[in-house]
Amino acid sequence: MSEAPVLRLKGVNKRFGGVVAANDVDLDLPGGVVTALVGPNGAGKTTLFNLITGNLKPDSGLIELRGRSLAGIEPRGAALAGIARSFQDLRLFEQMTVFENVLSVMERSALPWQPGGRAAANARREKADATIAQVGLTNWRDARAIDLGYAEQKFLSLARILVTDASLWLLDEPASGLDPASYERFVKLVRGRLSEGITICLIEHNLDIVHGISDRIAFLDQGTVLAAGEPRAILNDPKLAAIYFGERR
Amino acid sequence: MVGYILNLLILVSISGILAGSLNFIIGYAGIYSMAHAAFFGVSAYTAALIAMNLSTSLLVAIPAAMAICAALSLVISLPSLRVRGEYFVVASLGLQQIAFTVFSEWKDVTGGLGGITGVPVATLFGYKLRSLGSMLTVSLVCLALVTLVIYVLVRTSFGRNLKAIRDNEVAASAFGKNATAIKTIAVAISSALCGIAGVLYAFHVSFVNPESFTVDASVLIMAMIIIGGTGTVFGPILGALIIHLLPAGLTYLTFLPARELASLQQIIYGAAMVLLMIYRPSGLIGRSNVKDTWTR
Repeated sequence: MSEAPVLRLKGVNKRFGGVVAANDVDLDLPGGVVTALVGPNGAGKTTLFNLITGNLKPDSGLIELRGRSLAGIEPRGAALAGIARSFQDLRLFEQMTVFENVLSVMERSALPWQPGGRAAANARREKADATIAQVGLTNWRDARAIDLGYAEQKFLSLARILVTDASLWLLDEPASGLDPASYERFVKLVRGRLSEGITICLIEHNLDIVHGISDRIAFLDQGTVLAAGEPRAILNDPKLAAIYFGERR
Repeated sequence: MVGYILNLLILVSISGILAGSLNFIIGYAGIYSMAHAAFFGVSAYTAALIAMNLSTSLLVAIPAAMAICAALSLVISLPSLRVRGEYFVVASLGLQQIAFTVFSEWKDVTGGLGGITGVPVATLFGYKLRSLGSMLTVSLVCLALVTLVIYVLVRTSFGRNLKAIRDNEVAASAFGKNATAIKTIAVAISSALCGIAGVLYAFHVSFVNPESFTVDASVLIMAMIIIGGTGTVFGPILGALIIHLLPAGLTYLTFLPARELASLQQIIYGAAMVLLMIYRPSGLIGRSNVKDTWTR
């Protein structure tokens, strides 16, 4: 924990007209741990993801990935810098098959061919198949994403993250709506990658899930980070619980 | 009668190339361009001018027209592809109108509304394509080659990139894809393939004028795709076949008043499109874009 954080937000502000989406946000994501962003609806959690990945530009403040400023970065640039994100509404490539969804994530060149020739192409295909097997979607390999059930779509969304070489994962409600067995599988898959030095930040509303998967929690409300620390300390704070369950400060 | 059928099949082949090349960007990349007839026109004028001033060889006219169409598409698409969806439709509509104005007003080059007449017979390897049969053979070979190129391309990583952008551009960018570059290349390929159709058309009818390259032509090409099936390799060819055979077939219905045939055609087109959108929204051989609950 004493090492420099993988991601640092310093004094980040973002307003949409009169609405404050990020209010002087200071947040560090230490490497190799799972940090959960928790807070009531409209707290600004997804906005923070959008600011980090360049989908939104901060009005002011600093965002650094391993000491390198992400100012002015575009979503594509964020991906190339090693940030992978999933979306609350999944945003799968719906008409493509499960295999194509996973394979395509590794094909970044805009040209009609990818670098590395046939050997690299075969390696990508093998990696895609291995990842699909890892998330348990082998039986749906050639099914279109749109034809999958909700849980399978969730795991496909996760597979697209797993298959990347990204070192920072931003997961937006990745486990919402999963049944307990699927959830266990999800936790195992995600936490299993921490030993490889992956840093994970996720947004989650289910506090049982948050408790089960995260090493740290940052609590947000109305665009402000109210507290950050060990899950037990945050989740047992009656003031934060009151805010989370709808009692205003 | 044989000549009529051969002529019809040549036009179907040319339209198949037009529809297939437009489907490459509409069906696979979700880029709804209303300017395909503009590129069709540019390549037809290019072929006519080359044939009258330089060479009648298809091996000269086709590469030249493809290169000019691709280059022109780059100039236009680089700024306009930064906008998405309906904004690009409007931008391409503007381009179509500009192209039509240039075709009709740049009289020194295009001959104005009168067009360019007397385009000489095309040659291939020194052989004159004087007969309809030889022209049909060349047209079918071109159609087959264009279809093969599209068939192969959509199965490569480039095809997957196109489909990823079509399905969700935000997610595609989030995974590191350069959406603008991919779309620009796709439009260039589509325009270049469209160029082949323009060359064949100019040599086949031996006459080009702006009337063949209006926004109506762009809409008709789009109709071929929608009828056949967007995002399918053979759907556009089927669409082209239906669009050309329908009016031809109507002429055999002798009980229809000859004077009202053109109006009836429009009504039947319209009705067919409406019925298709209701019962087969993804075209005659297209796969449904909605969730298929029966496969689960």
